[in-house]
Amino acid sequence: MLEVKLHDIGEGMTEAEVLHYFVKPGDSVVADQALVEVQTDKMVAELPSPATGTVKELLIKTGTTVQVGTTILLIEAEGAVNVPAQTEGPVAEAAVTVEEKTEEAPIATATKPKGPLRILAAPYTRKIARENDVDIEQVTGTGPAGRVTVEDVYRFMEGGQTPAVESTPIPAAQPAAAATAEATVETPKVPADVIPFKGIRKQIAKKMSHSLTTIPHVTHFEEIDMTNLMALRKELKEEGISISAVAFFIKALVVALKDFPVFNAKLDEENEVILLEKEYHVGLAVDSTLGLIVPVLKNAHQKTLLQIHSEMKELNEKARQGTLSGNEMRGGTITISNVGPLGSIAATPIINHPETAIIAFHKTKKCAVVTDDDEIIIRSMMNISMSFDHRVADGATAVAFTNRFAELIENPKKLWLELM
Amino acid sequence: MKVVERETVETNKQTTRSLTLVQAVTDALGTMLAEDDRVILLGEDIGKNGGVFRATEGLQAQYGEDRVVDTPLSEAGIIGSSVGLAVNGMIPIPEIQFLGFIYPAFEQIATHVTRVRMRTMSNYTVPMVIRAPYGAGVRAPEIHSDSAEAFFTHMPGIKVVCPSTPTDAKGLLIAAIKDPDPVLFMEPMRLYRAFREDVPEGVYEVEIGKGKKVAEGDDVTVIAWGAMVPVARDAAEKAKAKGITCDVIDMRTLFPLDKDIIAESVQKTGRVVVVHEAHETSGVGNDIISLINKTSFLYMKAPVEKVTGFDVPVPFFALEDHFLPTPKRVEEAIEKVYRF
Repeated sequence: MLEVKLHDIGEGMTEAEVLHYFVKPGDSVVADQALVEVQTDKMVAELPSPATGTVKELLIKTGTTVQVGTTILLIEAEGAVNVPAQTEGPVAEAAVTVEEKTEEAPIATATKPKGPLRILAAPYTRKIARENDVDIEQVTGTGPAGRVTVEDVYRFMEGGQTPAVESTPIPAAQPAAAATAEATVETPKVPADVIPFKGIRKQIAKKMSHSLTTIPHVTHFEEIDMTNLMALRKELKEEGISISAVAFFIKALVVALKDFPVFNAKLDEENEVILLEKEYHVGLAVDSTLGLIVPVLKNAHQKTLLQIHSEMKELNEKARQGTLSGNEMRGGTITISNVGPLGSIAATPIINHPETAIIAFHKTKKCAVVTDDDEIIIRSMMNISMSFDHRVADGATAVAFTNRFAELIENPKKLWLELM
Repeated sequence: MKVVERETVETNKQTTRSLTLVQAVTDALGTMLAEDDRVILLGEDIGKNGGVFRATEGLQAQYGEDRVVDTPLSEAGIIGSSVGLAVNGMIPIPEIQFLGFIYPAFEQIATHVTRVRMRTMSNYTVPMVIRAPYGAGVRAPEIHSDSAEAFFTHMPGIKVVCPSTPTDAKGLLIAAIKDPDPVLFMEPMRLYRAFREDVPEGVYEVEIGKGKKVAEGDDVTVIAWGAMVPVARDAAEKAKAKGITCDVIDMRTLFPLDKDIIAESVQKTGRVVVVHEAHETSGVGNDIISLINKTSFLYMKAPVEKVTGFDVPVPFFALEDHFLPTPKRVEEAIEKVYRF
C-alpha cells in the first residue's frame, strides 16, 4: 500500500486545504495522474499519483486543512513504484512522498494528531484556553505580531471572534416590559456567519500587519489630468490598438522611478543600507475571488507598452484562476493597485513589504477645472494615492516624484520622449 | 576601644535596639560568643582592629584572644583551620575580609568544607559560618567588589545566605551558627551602614531557606537579595506611580532557594523580573528562571527579565555605578514584562 502524503510544495508551507479529489476509491490511476487538488497560502496545486495502481481510500475530507506529512489517500500499487518525475508547471512543485507500508500495519497516520501550528500565545493564555476547552488555534490574536491574548480567549468564549464587536445596546424604549422580569423576552441571538480565517485571507492579514507595524507609512494624494491620455488611447483604439491606461502608468512610473530611485528601493535594516534597485519589477495588486494577490510584472523597463499590456492581462487572468507560480509572485520592487474600475477617490494603501512605495490609481471622472487663465473647463481627472516608507524617503521627494509622474501622464508626448 | 552607638527601645514588649546591618552582625556574634563556648571567630585583623568593617569591634576585648583570633594573612589557612576546629567540636566563624578574597580558600571549601559530612557518612559535620562582605557600590578597589555567590550555590554541601536588613542579618547569622552544616554568610557591604532598624535583643533565628515578601502587588514579581533589595523596592515604587504594582521578594537564602515563595507570587502575577548584581551568565537568576519554568510555566504571561551586572569584572569606582543595576533599569524591565 502506498501512502500519498502532503509534501512541502515549496516556500516552507506547513499546511494546505484539500480542495477536491479527482479520483474515488476503486479508480485505477496511472503514475503522475492528478489525484487531489490542494490549496496552500499561495497557490492551488495538484498532487500527482506516485504510481500506477488502484485508489483504496480517501482519508481526508475535502475542505479540511492538513499539515505537511499527513497521508491524504492510499493507493495499491501495481509493480514498481514510480519516483515522482521532474515535471514542469505548477504541478512540478507539488512533490509527493511515498512510503511503502505492509498490509498489516494500521492506517495510523490518517488519524495522526496535527503538527504544531505556529500560534503565538503566552503559557498563561494557553492555560486559560485549555481550562475553558478553547482550541487556541481557532482564536484570532490581536496582540503584537498576532499573538493571542487572554482577552482574545475570553472574547472567543463569548462567541465574538473579532475585536471591537459589541453587542447591540438594548433600546431603552420599553420601560413597561423592563418593569416585570417575567415579561421580558430575550431576543434570540442571531448567529453570525462564520468565515474560516485561513489560507490566503490569513496570509494577507499577516503580511499587512507586518508591513504596517514595521514601516512608518505616509500617504500622498495627487490629482492627474487624464484627458490627453484618454484621447491618445481613443486614437489608438480607432486604429485597432488597445492598450490599457495602466500600461501607460507603468511606463511613466519607470521613467519617474529612474529620476527618483529611492521609491524603487529596499531598506536593508540589518546591514543599514538602502538598496536602490536597477530593475523595475512592478507588483500588480489583483482582486481575485480568493482575495488580494500580487503578481509581479518583471523588467517593466525592458518591455514595450504592448508587451506590458498583454503580459499584465495574462498575469491578471492567472491570479483570478489561482494558477500563479511562486516565481510570478516574487521579486517586486514597487506595487501598484488599480482600483479605478471599482470606484473610490482616495485610499491609504499598505506597502508591500519590503518595498518602499505603493501607488493606488482611483476612478477617472469628469470635473470642472479652473485653468491658468481663470476659465472653467471640463477635464477627466484621476486621483492617485501613494504610500511610502518614511524611513527611506521624505515628503518633498514624494511630491516631486508624483509631480513627475503626473507630468508624463498629463502630457503623453513627454512620455514618448522618454521612451525613444 | 570605640563605643558602638546603641539606643535601646521597647516595642511589643520585646527589647530592641536600633542598629545598622553591620552592628546587627556584631550583635549576633557577641550574642553567640556569650551563648556558646564552642563559638570561635577567626580572621585577619578581626581582634584588636575589629575587622576591616569593624564587624568584630570590641569582641576580642570582651571574650579574649582565644575566642577572637587574629590570623595570618592566609585565606586557605583560615578556612583549613576552621575545618579542623569544626570537626573537633568547635563552631568556627571565619571572616574573609571581602568575598573576592575567598578564591585562595576555594580549594578548602570545595574539597573539605562541603564534603566532610558526605565523606564520613555524617559521622562528622562541619558547623562553620564563613562570613564575607560582598558586592559593589562602596568604591572599593579591584576584586573587593565581587558578587561571587554563584560559585558557592553550585557546590552541594554549603548553604548560601545573604541578608538585606539588620534584623534578618542577626537572625540569619544566629541560625547559620546553630546550623550543623557550613554556611557562607554574605554581607552586603553597601548596606552595612545604609540604614538602621529596631533589632531584637538576645537570641532569635530567621529560618534559612525562607524568602520574605517586602512589598505587595499584583502585576509583576521582582526578585532580589542583599544590596539589590532596596534597588528593587525603589523601582517597584516608581512603577506604582505608573499603575503597575509589584510583589518584591527578598530571597535571603540563595541555596537552598525558597521555591514556594517564588511560585506563590509568580502564579499570582505571571510576570517576573530577577535582579542581581552578579554577572548575568550563570548567575543565580538563571536558577530562579529555571525554577519558575518548572513550577509555574503555565502561569507565565511574559518571558522573565533579568537585570544584572554585566559580564565583565566589576569595574573600578568611576564606572561602578554603570555596572550595578539601577532602579531605572529595574523599572524598565518591570514595564517591559508588564507591557509584553
